Amino acid sequence: MSGWDRVRSSRSRLGRNSSGYGRAPSRTVTLGRVQPQAPGHRTIYCNDREANLPVRFKGNSISTTKYNFFTFLPKGLFEQFRRVANLYFLMISILSTTPISPVHPVTNVVPLSLVLFVSLVKEAFEDWKRFQNDMTINNNIIDVLQDQKWEAVSWKKLQVGDIVRVKHDGVFPADLIFLASTNPDGVCYIETSNLDGETNLKIRKALERTWDYLTPEKASEFKGEVQCEQPNNSLYTFTGNLIVQKQTLPLTPNQILLRGCSLRNTEYIVGAVVFTGHETKVMMNAMNVPSKRSTLERKLDKLILALFGTLFVMCLIGAIGSGVFINRKYFYLGLGESVENQFNPNNRFLVATLTMFTLITLYSTIIPISLYVSIEMIKFIQSTQFINKDLHMYHAETNTPALARTSNLNEELGQVEYIFSDKTGTLTRNLMEFFKCSIGGEVYGTGITEIERGLAERDGIKIQEASKSANAVHDKGFNFDDVRLMRGSWRNEPNPDTCKEFFRCLAICHTVLPEGDESPEKVTYQAASPDEAALVTAAKNFGFFFYRRTPTMIYVRESHVENMGKIQDVSYEILNVLEFNSTRKRQSVVCRYPDGRLVLYCKGADTVIFERLADGNTDIKKVTREHLEEFGSAGLRTLCLAYRDLSPEVYESWNEKFIQAKSSLRDREKKLDEVAELIENNLNLIGATAIEDKLQEGVPTCIETLSRAGIKIWVLTGDKMETAINIAYACNLINNGMKQFIISSETNAIREVEDRGDQVEIARFIKEEVKRELNKCLKEAQHHLHTVSGPKLALVIDGKCLMYALDPSLRVILLNLSLNCSSVVCCRVSPLQKAQVTSLVKKGARKITLSIGDGANDVSMIQAAHVGVGISGLEGMQAVMASDFAIAQFRFLTDLLLVHGRWSYLRICKVVTYFFYKNLTFTLTQFWFTFRTGFSGQRFYDDWFQSLYNVIFTALPVIIVGLFDKDVSASLSKKYPELYKEGMRNVFFKWKVVAIWAFFSVYQSLVFFYFVTTSSSNGHNSDGKIFGLWDVSTMAFTCVVVTVNLRLLMICNSITRWHYISVGGSILAWFLFIFVYSIIKTPKTENVYFVIYVLMSTFYFYLTLLLVPIVALLCDFVYQGVQRWFFPYDYQIVQEIHRHELDDRSRTDLLEVGNQLTPEEARSYAIAQLPREISKHTGFAFDSPGYESFFASQLGIYAPHKAWDVARRASMRTKPNLPKKN
Amino acid sequence: MNTKGATSSGGNDGNPSDSASPPPSKKNSKRPKYSRFTQQELPACKPILTPGWVITAFTVVGILFIPIGLVCLFASERVVEIVYQYEADCVPADYSNNVLAYIQSSDTNKTCTRTLTVPKYMKNPVFIYYQLDNFYQNHRRYVKSRSDTQLRSKAGEREIKNCPPEGTTKSGDPIVPCGLIAWSLFNDTYGFSLENEVLNVSKKNIAWKSDQEHKFGSDVYPKNFQSGGLIGGAKLNSSIPLSEQEDLIVWMRTAALPTFRKLYGKIEKELQANENITVVIQNNYNTYSFGGGKKLVLSTTGWIGGKNDFLGIAYLTVGGLCLFLAISFILVYVVKPRPLGDPSYLSWNRNPSGHLN
Repeated sequence: MSGWDRVRSSRSRLGRNSSGYGRAPSRTVTLGRVQPQAPGHRTIYCNDREANLPVRFKGNSISTTKYNFFTFLPKGLFEQFRRVANLYFLMISILSTTPISPVHPVTNVVPLSLVLFVSLVKEAFEDWKRFQNDMTINNNIIDVLQDQKWEAVSWKKLQVGDIVRVKHDGVFPADLIFLASTNPDGVCYIETSNLDGETNLKIRKALERTWDYLTPEKASEFKGEVQCEQPNNSLYTFTGNLIVQKQTLPLTPNQILLRGCSLRNTEYIVGAVVFTGHETKVMMNAMNVPSKRSTLERKLDKLILALFGTLFVMCLIGAIGSGVFINRKYFYLGLGESVENQFNPNNRFLVATLTMFTLITLYSTIIPISLYVSIEMIKFIQSTQFINKDLHMYHAETNTPALARTSNLNEELGQVEYIFSDKTGTLTRNLMEFFKCSIGGEVYGTGITEIERGLAERDGIKIQEASKSANAVHDKGFNFDDVRLMRGSWRNEPNPDTCKEFFRCLAICHTVLPEGDESPEKVTYQAASPDEAALVTAAKNFGFFFYRRTPTMIYVRESHVENMGKIQDVSYEILNVLEFNSTRKRQSVVCRYPDGRLVLYCKGADTVIFERLADGNTDIKKVTREHLEEFGSAGLRTLCLAYRDLSPEVYESWNEKFIQAKSSLRDREKKLDEVAELIENNLNLIGATAIEDKLQEGVPTCIETLSRAGIKIWVLTGDKMETAINIAYACNLINNGMKQFIISSETNAIREVEDRGDQVEIARFIKEEVKRELNKCLKEAQHHLHTVSGPKLALVIDGKCLMYALDPSLRVILLNLSLNCSSVVCCRVSPLQKAQVTSLVKKGARKITLSIGDGANDVSMIQAAHVGVGISGLEGMQAVMASDFAIAQFRFLTDLLLVHGRWSYLRICKVVTYFFYKNLTFTLTQFWFTFRTGFSGQRFYDDWFQSLYNVIFTALPVIIVGLFDKDVSASLSKKYPELYKEGMRNVFFKWKVVAIWAFFSVYQSLVFFYFVTTSSSNGHNSDGKIFGLWDVSTMAFTCVVVTVNLRLLMICNSITRWHYISVGGSILAWFLFIFVYSIIKTPKTENVYFVIYVLMSTFYFYLTLLLVPIVALLCDFVYQGVQRWFFPYDYQIVQEIHRHELDDRSRTDLLEVGNQLTPEEARSYAIAQLPREISKHTGFAFDSPGYESFFASQLGIYAPHKAWDVARRASMRTKPNLPKKN
Repeated sequence: MNTKGATSSGGNDGNPSDSASPPPSKKNSKRPKYSRFTQQELPACKPILTPGWVITAFTVVGILFIPIGLVCLFASERVVEIVYQYEADCVPADYSNNVLAYIQSSDTNKTCTRTLTVPKYMKNPVFIYYQLDNFYQNHRRYVKSRSDTQLRSKAGEREIKNCPPEGTTKSGDPIVPCGLIAWSLFNDTYGFSLENEVLNVSKKNIAWKSDQEHKFGSDVYPKNFQSGGLIGGAKLNSSIPLSEQEDLIVWMRTAALPTFRKLYGKIEKELQANENITVVIQNNYNTYSFGGGKKLVLSTTGWIGGKNDFLGIAYLTVGGLCLFLAISFILVYVVKPRPLGDPSYLSWNRNPSGHLN
């Protein structure tokens, strides 16, 4: 990870456009930022606790909690009051204790305390969970050397300098210096997936000097002194010295075992602790996940701001009014000479100012205090109960449910417009399976790829899953079934010799290492790429079992060759290996049969193989090419196989040149390539293989659904361009009907300049080239956009070009171009570029972005996007730890976005607008009253009414809506993905929506105030008695509570019994409250004493209670009726279409409906499938060593060992004594 | 094209044995438990606001409201009300330019005799109200200027925190009842006679029972009331406990709006149409300084209370409006129908270019 930062810094050293990047991903880079080194170093005395004592190293226990028992209250409260709304209410509360206030402090204190209480309980609960988590980690057990014995102690008791033993599959409890291992040459294998998500094994090697300290007796003799750097967060660096017996030995990262990694293939190791607890590199890397806020919430802030503005205006009007009104002539107000300032007519300005404050406290209810806490609760339940427990997002194979790691972003999921996806592990399983092949012009293999199935289904054909023959073999990397080839039956095929060559080519031409037992069942193949392993596995299953490799020999156990069932071990001498690289795109092996036959086997991309074929045999070439195209469009990765018989003379003369080239000091690679050219020609085509880069389940369907929802999907991958394009085909992101723009740095012109080696010139040239390409593409894209039925556009760009395209001067063009494309594939991109592309769209296009990935290389992208999704269930945790949501499968995005995201968005929109409405309405009734009280700021409602309005009488129903409201069922949400577009356009929380609500608020509040007061002016029962202020206000309040609660029912799309209970309960709560409150004799004021009973003894009460809510809701009702009838939302139409269906019970039935196409759809699909005049995709792709070492080698960064290195090492180690023949 | 991929492995309604690979042992399985709540499948009714519903709702409201409105209006019409505005009328002509001097002087004759004609038969009891305009009984300074504790019991006599400037006398003794409200007690009086026969004005039972019994103590007697230099209004008989001072109790139940009526008393005699009632008004109360109006109201009551056309008219209007809306919706429905659930109204079908992928 530190490498990323180096990428940055090295670029800026080159003086290129680094300033432009500095700003954009600033947040994301925090991950990789190497902290400044603390000066000095630490000295550790191994195995000597006393000596280490004075330094007071930190213990190994970790704590990720925010609070402890004592800091909880002060710190928690502080956190709470950092929220503007809470602080505001604190100030209002304080203000309301002064005589300025028209209301009793209780009015504001009660809601505030309730809100704080709920928030603090939530904080405490979350912190408790963190605490428990820490405890489990801290109490893990590890063997520590004590008194010449291994004692099992818990992790937290570990100290710097301790000698520990970690057993096979154990996890390192702290950062260790590797001393000794049970493996003979002091190596051990570790898995770093917890750190970086890479599952391949890495080698660590102890210093030879310490190999012996393996047993407790020996280890206790170890008295080393370690001088090393201070703790830092750079995972791949370590500098230090080990001083043993006055001998200073340098320590490198190779001797460091980091906390969190686990030991593999090694019985146990012994190590000395150097960094503990929070000082370990992995903990230093643990970032505070930058807390993201949803776009909607940011918009909500603006709304709150607008409310503050409204509040200010209202107060200002009142204040001016009060200054004008106040006058001695109102003798009954007792405005004598000694009157207090607030009412002193001599100083009207002061009166107005003080009234301003009075009114602020009076109208404080306009700011919905419980809004934030309600939303928080809703989102919390949404994520913990709905997202985490959704059975549709539970992956049974890996036993992984979905996990919402933050509850902040639920509604953001409903507005995503761009998805940035990693490829390996996300779209694909990183599992290559031999799927089909073409031998001598004949296609074998009966499987149907996912993409073919998808195509067929769209054509309306129901594909019968070809029943697998009973004896079909399924091996890891082999998913092939054809009775014509299996179990030796290939001998009956028309061309058994070609078949034999085909299988031998597979078995011989590779760089794979077998591991484990030499039996077909138990062997495992170590290969640089899973492709190769799949091919060798295929050979094994065809009866050509490659079981042993020495540096010069390959041993193959061949069956069925001569006779059915006969098995013979054949050894082939490997004379030369012409390795694979991305320019050659092929790999050859020259081998000698036991009978002396010299053959060159070659496999590679169709383009390079075909141009090196011998003349003749055009039929097979033509047929094979067709097959290749067929495979390619089915999303398979293809390789062509060819061979050439060599005469000893030809070979010998060539081999001399080869040896020369191999030993040359300058341009060795280039020379080797040139030499290879000399022999790799005149090839005979054998056939082609098709490997399925196994997609994750349901990926094409999911992508299809998402793109119907209007979401654009970009694939950002470290893979090569061919692989990336291939996967894009397989995922249906690109098809032959699309216009593809490919911007690649692998052009001859660029290569030529690169060969000259002048860095500045290269940069300039590539930049020019990229600029030209971009402009050309953009022009073409715009041309296509203007034509009505132009093809869809796709952009493919590689990392090197992207680096220049992201330059500030070109960024706009890139953005314009890519936004016009319906899919974009970026290959060969570094983690940092992934983040840059993400923020390009996030900031440049101001669209909501989602990144999904599974590995450490996706972390920056995940953090850069609005929403980060990690793929969980596999070993790597880095992506998940950085993500906001973790799901087990890419296809669960459908549920996450289209169902949960959409619902959350709808619900939160409703909750927010409703809160806005109910508080505005309530406050406005007060406002109208102010006009009739001489602007004195007299409160209309009793203190308790006002304080409980938000927290009791209208609190629960809106939460119920936030939880349960759904416009259409989950299955319909997925059936009509287009509904999702409403969220993207932010249809439900636009200023227009707010304005409509505000309008109804004003209308309703006017109805409440004027209807109730006007109708109350005369006597109200046959006793002729008259109502006073508190009677009228209680009446008005009753109307408000009833109306506001009923209004809630009107915004519901589905009404469960919880709605009834909460709405009915809220209204009932009000009546219960007032019944009790009316008979309580409070010591101070008894304004409301008996009021409700008086009211309820009159007809007036019931007549008003019927009239006012209906009048108030009439306007809304008309609006809703008209809106639905004339300007229906999409979801409303869908509701209508499915109005007779029961709820989700019939999910499976609905699926069948989903397969049927309307004639219109069928036709347009048919058009899209028509062939176009572009060369067809043939699907060549082959993984060479992964992107990381690619970048590393480019920039000179230390990169961890790759699998191939491991394998090569292993082979050297196990067979060290074989005589060299060459 | 469909949602198969997305739903196939999730399983249906909590049947735990449907997934392809058997779930790991019960104990370790992280498979969420099925509940209707977590799967968001709670049974719900899904109302769709179809035109049918809209029209039905409007019709129902209309049909319901119009009769109610008629009944209310009818009840209100049956209430007979005589309103006489006298604040200008009862000022002698020679003081008309200087009303303040007239009202503030203790020497002027405040008596004002007028004759009111009963328009219709008025069933007994006939309620007498006074109505004040532009009198801000709901002003914040005014509303809080009272002490409920003091009013309730003798023990709370000194609870005068909110009462200034009418809290204590100059010598510091507490005023009972204290505060601006009590101090400004309305003090016009009305005497009625019919054909020279004095009509008794009953002042009993004009305040809310709850106020009389619980808010005003029977052991609290007025004390130091209206003893200051400035007299705000009526004086109180200091030998009658507050709970019996119904005028005060009525006055102390502050009004919601600056225009308000308060019950003055009642005449327990029915009045025939066209009878002439002679009213003798003692025009003491100073509304002139702030331009307030004073009205004398004689009114009967019905079940609806006093005369109040508002409710009836409101009900009728709303009912009518609803019927009108119902009809217009029906018309619109006929003129511009939209078939329910027509997929062609879906936005992506309206511009099909963006659809296919």
